[in-house]
Amino acid sequence: MQLQYCLILAAALFCIGIYGLITSRNAVRVLMSIELMLNAVNLNLMGFSNFLDPSAIKGQIFTIFVITVAAAEAAVGLAIILAIYRNRETVDMEQFNLLKW
Amino acid sequence: MQQMFSETIWLVPLYALIGAVLALPWSPGIIRQTGPRPAGYINTLMTLLAFVHSLFALRAIWHQPPQYLSINWLHAASLNITFDIEISSVTVGALILVTGLNLLAQIYAIGYLEMDWGWARFYSLLALFEAGMCTLVICNSLFFSYVILEILTLGTYLLIGFWFNQSLVVTGARDAFLTKRVGDLILLMGVVALLPLAGTWNYRELAEWATTATIDPKIATLLSLALIAGPLGKCAQFPLHLWLDEAMEGPMPATILRNTIIVSTGAWVLIKLQPVLALSPVASTVMIGIGAVTAIGAGLIAIAQIDIKRSLSYSVSAYMGLVFIAVGTQQDETALRLLFTYAIAMAILVMSIGGIVWNNITQDLTQYGGLWSRRPISGICYLVGAASLVAFPPLGCFWSLTEMADNLWNTHPWLVGVLVAVNGLTAFSVTREFSLIFGGKPKPMTVRSPEALWSLVLPMTIAMGFALHVPILLHQWNLLPEWENLNLTVATPLVISTLVGAGGSAFIYLNDKIAKPIQLKPKAVQDFFAYDLYTAKLYRVTIIFVVGLVSQIIYWFDRYLVDGIINLVGLVTIFSGESLKYNVSGQTQFYFLSILLGVFLFVGVVCFPFLSQLHLIISP
Repeated sequence: MQLQYCLILAAALFCIGIYGLITSRNAVRVLMSIELMLNAVNLNLMGFSNFLDPSAIKGQIFTIFVITVAAAEAAVGLAIILAIYRNRETVDMEQFNLLKW
Repeated sequence: MQQMFSETIWLVPLYALIGAVLALPWSPGIIRQTGPRPAGYINTLMTLLAFVHSLFALRAIWHQPPQYLSINWLHAASLNITFDIEISSVTVGALILVTGLNLLAQIYAIGYLEMDWGWARFYSLLALFEAGMCTLVICNSLFFSYVILEILTLGTYLLIGFWFNQSLVVTGARDAFLTKRVGDLILLMGVVALLPLAGTWNYRELAEWATTATIDPKIATLLSLALIAGPLGKCAQFPLHLWLDEAMEGPMPATILRNTIIVSTGAWVLIKLQPVLALSPVASTVMIGIGAVTAIGAGLIAIAQIDIKRSLSYSVSAYMGLVFIAVGTQQDETALRLLFTYAIAMAILVMSIGGIVWNNITQDLTQYGGLWSRRPISGICYLVGAASLVAFPPLGCFWSLTEMADNLWNTHPWLVGVLVAVNGLTAFSVTREFSLIFGGKPKPMTVRSPEALWSLVLPMTIAMGFALHVPILLHQWNLLPEWENLNLTVATPLVISTLVGAGGSAFIYLNDKIAKPIQLKPKAVQDFFAYDLYTAKLYRVTIIFVVGLVSQIIYWFDRYLVDGIINLVGLVTIFSGESLKYNVSGQTQFYFLSILLGVFLFVGVVCFPFLSQLHLIISP
């Protein structure tokens, strides 16, 4: 078990998240992809705090903050999706292209 | 007392200028009530004043050495331009000729412009011309000669364009201005190039400089050719001669001036420049060539014209060609004498036919006939003018032509042949006009033709009297050769050519058995000369075509390339804005993508040096 593997896993997870973020048509799945990316970040933080800063573990505190903020963000995100859904009766991202040129 | 007149000779041009300004208030738009006649009277009076002044001045200057005055005109840095005046018997004599002919033309115009409202404009312009020519003859500086030539070019434009509601007048004035302008501009090149070489524009100092000057023959040739170009246009020489033909659209009294003195202004400058031009043998050859070609060509064209004014205008070109030959062979004295005798003869001819045109309306020679019995004064004046114009002893031009031929006889015998030919052609041409106008039977246009008003006849007869006295005057001034010194080998052919020309012409045109109008066998030859060697077409396919084409190309270049490049910048900006706006796709995910790409790119750029070193760290 090394730091590098941990970071590479996190990077892979982040990339999967990016892929999902950009390609999903369902708005909820976009939020899910964002969660994936946040978790990848958390993995990074945990890995760094474990291998580089085992005594002070500031990374773990960061992780807790990120989880908290991510929860709040997901809540607001879902609220926004609901608000849009009420108006447009769909969650298809490709239908939300009113604000173009 | 008399000394005062010669010292104030510079007033002579000012009289005319004052007249020019005083005439203007009688323009129809300013004094609306009383008609334009006072303008003419004032100007005639001013010209009379100038004439009398010049006469007194001549008495004072006669047999005196020339006096020189100099007025500082401009002094800037090392350039010092002075207005030099020469007061000699030649310049004052020329003043008398100019003012005298002006006086006659202005009296003539009082009658000729009887039915015209434009006296103010006409007399102002005549006075401007008089002032210009008087300044030119007393001016002793090449620079100011050029200035005056240019002012006179503008004056020609305005005077030819007098009746500007006629379309031919407008095109004629345009051609006169542009053609003369081209010559003047090339003259300006010569004038400007002369200063660094000679260090002066004063004719006298130029002549002194030319005696000892050692300059590169190529430079001398180019300089002399440029100096010839101005007079070439002014004197209506080939190939810049078409303007004089078209200038015949102007009013007749102005034609008197133009045919006699205005075309001589160029010759005057040419004569003054003769010492400089003599530096280059090529220039002399060119002058002789141009003069000979013009003299023969214009002599032939004059015979083929049916318009009586135009027929005379080509004789003008022919005689100016003779002046060119004289200057080209270094006979400036003879050239001056030829100008003097020619101007008087031509003035009578133009005045005579002016009177004919005035009450026969037409200018078409084929419409004339049978005026001798009813217009004896005009006829006699015409005869005297014609006889003075060609070598007809003892009248004026015989002496100058003989003198010229005498000088040419040993050096350029073939030019004597040219002289004889031109004389014969001119004699043929003027006799043809005489026979067609005064001989034969009356035609519908000439059935009722009374003699003209006193003011047309008076100047004509005065000029005729003067022409008859020219030999006596020349004798008085000791300008005539003794009888035993007269070179009969050249005088005889000249007189014979006159007799042959005049006799042949009279035989053809006064003979009822020969069908009129005369048809030459090859019609093309007749047309070739009648249409002035197709010069108008020649201009149109050469200079006008090239200049037109070049201006079209430059216009196109400016319109499409220069403007286009700038417009292209604008277009590219608009196009890029129009196309780049599609980046704002309205897709949130697309924005995410661009943010991420931007971050990756930025991080990549910032971290690139570290990343490239990272590889080194890991590998060992």
